[in-house]
Amino acid sequence: MNPNVFLMMLAANPWPSIVALLAGALAFGIAPLALAKLWAVKFSPAKPGIDKNAIYECGLESRGDAWIQFKASYYLYAIIFLIFDVEAVFLLPFAVAFTGLPVGACVAMLVFLLLLLEGLVWACQKGVLTWS
Amino acid sequence: MEQDETEALKAELRKHGILTTTFEELYNWGRKNSVWPLTFGLACCAIEMIATTMARYDLARFGAEVFRASPRQADLIIVSGTVTKKMAPQVVRLYNQMPEPKYVIAMGACAISGGPFRDGYNVLKGIDRYIPVDVHIPGCPPRPEALIDAFMTLQKKISEQQLTGEGRPRHLYAELPSEFKVPDYGEHGLEPTENAEVWNPLKVIQG
Amino acid sequence: MTAQTISAEQVKAAIEAAVPGCRVEILQNGSPSAQHSLVLDHKHATEIARFLRDDVELRLDYCSNVTGVDWLDTEVSEKVKTKKLVDGVETEVEEVKKTTVPGRLEAVYHLFSMEKKHGPVIVLLRTGNRTDDVRVPSLTPVWRSAEFQEREVFDLYGIVFEGHPDLRRILMWDEFADHPMRKDYVPPADDDEPLHAATGERER
Repeated sequence: MNPNVFLMMLAANPWPSIVALLAGALAFGIAPLALAKLWAVKFSPAKPGIDKNAIYECGLESRGDAWIQFKASYYLYAIIFLIFDVEAVFLLPFAVAFTGLPVGACVAMLVFLLLLLEGLVWACQKGVLTWS
Repeated sequence: MEQDETEALKAELRKHGILTTTFEELYNWGRKNSVWPLTFGLACCAIEMIATTMARYDLARFGAEVFRASPRQADLIIVSGTVTKKMAPQVVRLYNQMPEPKYVIAMGACAISGGPFRDGYNVLKGIDRYIPVDVHIPGCPPRPEALIDAFMTLQKKISEQQLTGEGRPRHLYAELPSEFKVPDYGEHGLEPTENAEVWNPLKVIQG
Repeated sequence: MTAQTISAEQVKAAIEAAVPGCRVEILQNGSPSAQHSLVLDHKHATEIARFLRDDVELRLDYCSNVTGVDWLDTEVSEKVKTKKLVDGVETEVEEVKKTTVPGRLEAVYHLFSMEKKHGPVIVLLRTGNRTDDVRVPSLTPVWRSAEFQEREVFDLYGIVFEGHPDLRRILMWDEFADHPMRKDYVPPADDDEPLHAATGERER
């Protein structure tokens, strides 16, 4: 086929190529899994067992449940960390462009920083940051 | 006879720059060069084991640098040091939690037989009472070279394992167990004192 | 600065002055170290210990070591001269009289003073026997460092420390019934010596 004709056909109807790519992608994922399954059936049988399927606890028998409740204050702590993490992302371009910035931009940034700082002070006073 | 002819033919082809292999060889070659040991040390032998993995002795050359922190991902457990009776159930349970195929190296006099602590009230007289050991390393503690030698012995053992036929290793038989009995804490010692499926004790022949 | 030794007699005198009614006995150590120990009576042991720790002169604020000793029942034979009628004549006859000294367990504490830089003072508690009267008062309330070591002595010798906050086995598992550091402990036969090919049985 003339390559130009092929490209024209693609432009007219892109779906067959998308389907072909999808099939390729799926095959790429499924083929190793299928081969592994085939390998297990043909040569190496699966051997589950009580110990093997048990919860791993460094060789000890596990006691109790691994699903425990975390204190809600942990999430507050995490959220405050996240806010200041994001703040650092804004601070970097600000610091890079600092010398070329007009006064208005600096003031705007300071207001932003102070707002977040105020939030932190408020959280601190609420006792969120004290860990008991 | 047939085997020799095949080998001769392979060697001949090799001379002409043609590499031939079998499925089994390829499989074993891959396995023996990616044995992942379990991060597991018991006593002073563990220090030698750690030294073996470090830059000077560099176990990574043999494809075993990835010490896994979970038995789920490990192929090899190096029992490095004195196994106390209190620890023995944990060792067996860790072995049980490893996926097949799995291998055991008993490193040092203690892991083999109890070593200098054999008469101690809390010392297991050899881990081979409870789990099948592939390679024993004598020494107290064995030098890193000895561990590397044991590792190469294990690699040789892996490369000789058959994929089909009667002589194939235990893990390829569906009916053979992959777990062994974890001993219980008894009033006077571990119960049972050994696993008859695994242990092959010394026998005294009276003349 | 090396530790100064402090004589057992001095300590004994200090204790007797401070704790009325107590019984303290000095157990001589004949070896070159000459570290004599003080045997305390159970009733006043805690009080004495507290005095040793808090006294301004002694200040034995550090218990470095607790250990156990097992004394088996021993047979002591002495020669006794008695007068007996032998063939109608009164003669002096030597007889060997055997007495059994009951065994006991001992808990030994080594005390030092960090503040005064002296020590060791060795304190000793004795049980009545090796079987049923094995209780001694715990000194953990006085020296916290004794906690694990008393547990170890309990585990390996079977001395029961009364007043210990958490007296459980520490080295052996909880189900274990024996006390392996006792002199008459025999490890189970598992521990196997080789099997006989003919009988399939263990040697022991």
